[in-house]
Amino acid sequence: MTKRIFRRMDFALIAAAAGIIIMSLVIIGSATHINTPSDERYWFVQRQGLFAVIDVALAVFLMNFDYKMLQGYGNKLYVFNLVMLLAVMLVGHSALGAQRWISLGPINIQPSEFSKLIMIISLAGILEERVGKLHTVHDLLPVAGYVGLPFLLVLKQPDLGTSLVFLAIFFGMIFVCGIRLRLLFGIFAAGIACLPILWHFLKDYQKMRIMVFMDPNVDPLGSGYHIIQSKIAIGSGMLFGKGLFEGTQSQLNFLPENHTDFIFAVVGEELGFVGAAVLLFLYLVLLWRGIQIARDASDIFGRLLATGITSMLAFHVLVNVGMTTGIMPVTGIPLPFMSYGVSSLTTNILAIAVLLNIHLRKQKLLF
Amino acid sequence: MIENDEYEGRVRALGIMVVMVIFILLARVGYLQVMDGEYYANLADGNRIRIIPSMAPRGTFFDRNGVPLVMNRPGFTVSLLPLTAPVSEEVVWRLSQLLKVSVEDIHKKIDAHSGFDPIHIKQDVTPDIVSIIEEQKNLYPGVVIEVQPVRDYVLKQEAAHTFGYVSEISDAELEKRKDEGYKSGDIIGKFGLEKIYDKEIRGVNGGEQVEVDVTGKPVQVLGMKEPVPGADLYLTIDKNLQEAAEKAVDEQLAAINAHAAAAVVMNPQTGEVLAIVSRPAFDPNLFAHGISTKDWNAINTNPYHPMDNKAITGEYPPGSTFKIVTGTAALASGKVTPEEKIFDSGHHWIIPKGNADGEALGWLNFTEAMAHSDNVYFYEMGNRMGIDTLEHYARMFGLGKVTGIDLPYEAEGLVANREYKRKVYEDDWYLSETFDAAIGQGFNLVTPLQAAMVMGEIAANGKRYRPHLVNRIMSQDGVIIKEFEPELLSELDVPPYVIQLVQTGLHDVTKYGTAARTFQGFTVDIAGKTGTAENSQGRDHGWFVAYGPFNYPTIVVAVIVEQGGYGAQSAVPIGRRILEAAFGLNQPAPSGNSAPPAQKPQ
Repeated sequence: MTKRIFRRMDFALIAAAAGIIIMSLVIIGSATHINTPSDERYWFVQRQGLFAVIDVALAVFLMNFDYKMLQGYGNKLYVFNLVMLLAVMLVGHSALGAQRWISLGPINIQPSEFSKLIMIISLAGILEERVGKLHTVHDLLPVAGYVGLPFLLVLKQPDLGTSLVFLAIFFGMIFVCGIRLRLLFGIFAAGIACLPILWHFLKDYQKMRIMVFMDPNVDPLGSGYHIIQSKIAIGSGMLFGKGLFEGTQSQLNFLPENHTDFIFAVVGEELGFVGAAVLLFLYLVLLWRGIQIARDASDIFGRLLATGITSMLAFHVLVNVGMTTGIMPVTGIPLPFMSYGVSSLTTNILAIAVLLNIHLRKQKLLF
Repeated sequence: MIENDEYEGRVRALGIMVVMVIFILLARVGYLQVMDGEYYANLADGNRIRIIPSMAPRGTFFDRNGVPLVMNRPGFTVSLLPLTAPVSEEVVWRLSQLLKVSVEDIHKKIDAHSGFDPIHIKQDVTPDIVSIIEEQKNLYPGVVIEVQPVRDYVLKQEAAHTFGYVSEISDAELEKRKDEGYKSGDIIGKFGLEKIYDKEIRGVNGGEQVEVDVTGKPVQVLGMKEPVPGADLYLTIDKNLQEAAEKAVDEQLAAINAHAAAAVVMNPQTGEVLAIVSRPAFDPNLFAHGISTKDWNAINTNPYHPMDNKAITGEYPPGSTFKIVTGTAALASGKVTPEEKIFDSGHHWIIPKGNADGEALGWLNFTEAMAHSDNVYFYEMGNRMGIDTLEHYARMFGLGKVTGIDLPYEAEGLVANREYKRKVYEDDWYLSETFDAAIGQGFNLVTPLQAAMVMGEIAANGKRYRPHLVNRIMSQDGVIIKEFEPELLSELDVPPYVIQLVQTGLHDVTKYGTAARTFQGFTVDIAGKTGTAENSQGRDHGWFVAYGPFNYPTIVVAVIVEQGGYGAQSAVPIGRRILEAAFGLNQPAPSGNSAPPAQKPQ
């Protein structure tokens, strides 16, 4: 069994994920100033590293189970997800203007991170029987409603970023589920037509973020500050970077949120274009393997799972790196495996575990 | 593998999208870092690097004996570093409490500021505020203490008009002098020697390049340029004489209830100025760090114009002191011989003008007329010479143009002449105007410095030296940058006996003439001349000019008391006390103002 598992491992995927995690630990260390004396300077790195180890152990353990059994838990997980998101609204506590956290002993968990993966599993469960049957709005409505409920709960937190991730997952999965392209484009057209209406539902700070995205200089010391400082950090890294622990934007705290949402800017500043390109290459490998695994999956459920996971990760990378480089509005979406945050890290490692599991159990041609 | 896989193409399409996403991001990052990298690198430096300028101390002014007169003391300025992020409200509030500056005022200063120099919040704070900020650095991120030398005029208002004052460069000055290296926020000499020698004494500012974090807390010093102190001025001023002159003027003004006066003391053999007094005065220390509105209003509303240096900008009719010029001219042009006697019947026979109180002095020769300041005699001199000859000699004495002293805003004065009358009044010249001119009234105007110069030329046997206040300019390391030698400007083109006769007449003024009573018992032989300048605005101005010792004059003095009445009563006592100080005589000053003058002067 172990020998077979070993032979069936997707090493490229593992190597890419491991590479990003190692890079993450180094950059988080730099961003949290482990080079300057302070009692707690190793706290972030230690915690992130510890969780990486635990998560990997958990992932290895989960290899023993066939991902197909997840299908049976789809609806139960869905209900659990709703309960968890409601719990955030009732007993959660807020940070940075949004209610996103639940305390479980020493750990603060962010249910919306886990809810993405749960969403993928549940959605794959109900989409599996609908392959090739999504032709009309009527066909799509139950699915849309199924996603819409948790979507609205997340939006209400408010966590616009995560709710957008839900949309990305949703569209990625119905796309490979064979939704009629006319219907898909119709939805996009309707969505664009509704944008002005949606604008009214945005909170003021969200509107400001959109405006600042159009022109960061409308509010250079307020909402535009993050984008401006992030672009300065990345740009000033130039080709080879200022060197690890030497990024002035990051080390002198001009760059806010430098170990979480804006960690890519630290990579750009300290490691330069070379470092940023290496990181993007690792993501390319990771996502490309995700696509391959979706293609080669032994069943539709597996393919849908892999598609959802890849869509989720790709959307995170696009929005996060796009935000730090000023081509996407500011939304609090972490960079997978890089940003500090144990909920996000755990979710992503488990997502990779699911991908590996699908890969492991693809068609048994060799036997 | 999935059987009958009709949607495998969709997965491939998704794959292409994913690859595109990565390449778009890669292109974007490459654009920022490779194409625009230089630009962002500059912005990053702009974020973290701040220059804290360190002002060069201005050169010290020493008196002729090396006594410091104008120095610098360390002043502490509390400033905010301009930051990338907005200054925290908490820090602003804390500063406001500490410095007693309102939060709004601090915000106003921050908003008005541009560039990366520190924003001055409060200048010249006390050392305890400095130590509070230094000790609690973490409570005051972004707050820096700049040590700036503050000009210290140790004599306060004494000699204020000579030294001048400094303050921050104005926009207009900056516009004009940008090319000379002046920068916004620089302290510049605005008046007096501070203005004239600004370039020599200002030095070269230095600064410190520091790296700061986002809160403005300095992290490390990247570079440092020491300021170069300005060169020192060694003045011709004699501190003791200056102080004595100030005291003499102040006490006399108080005694006779007058408010404005000026005095000049010089060495006629060199042009060195030993003391200049102008009243009322101002305290230049008030300007050193921005004068308060209250102080400025007090200066501005004073009807006697404290900011004017009356010794060089005040233009007054010379009155009878002009008889020195008229007398020299009459003798030199041969219109009168020393022996010729002219009869004063109380008024002149052509135009009925006479002495102030109408008394008749009878037959008088040249020296007697000078000693008693007889108007009728000098009317006749004017009558014989005509205005053109008088003008010629007045100009020979250097009147009607600036003396060239090294102070700003010197006035030219005026020599009575036909041209002026025609231009200003569009009228011909009348004989009565020649009469007025001959006794220093009418169209003649001189500054106290010019009056001293005229007297000085007689004292120095006709030689006219450029008046100057600086002997040498010397850098901090002892290198002499410039030395000022006596500069002979001109010599009176008259026979030596003429000057001797005028000297004799002026000597007699102090022996039995108009100034004799005040100079009773004065142990140094001197020459002098009183004067009373008619003033259409109020009481007459009192004049006194003198030099001594008579045989080898080293001191010439000119005193005017605005609206002081007769010169003998107002100006002569001041003159006496200045001369006492100059010659080191310590007799008590006679109460000249209470005793009647020896003679009614004119």
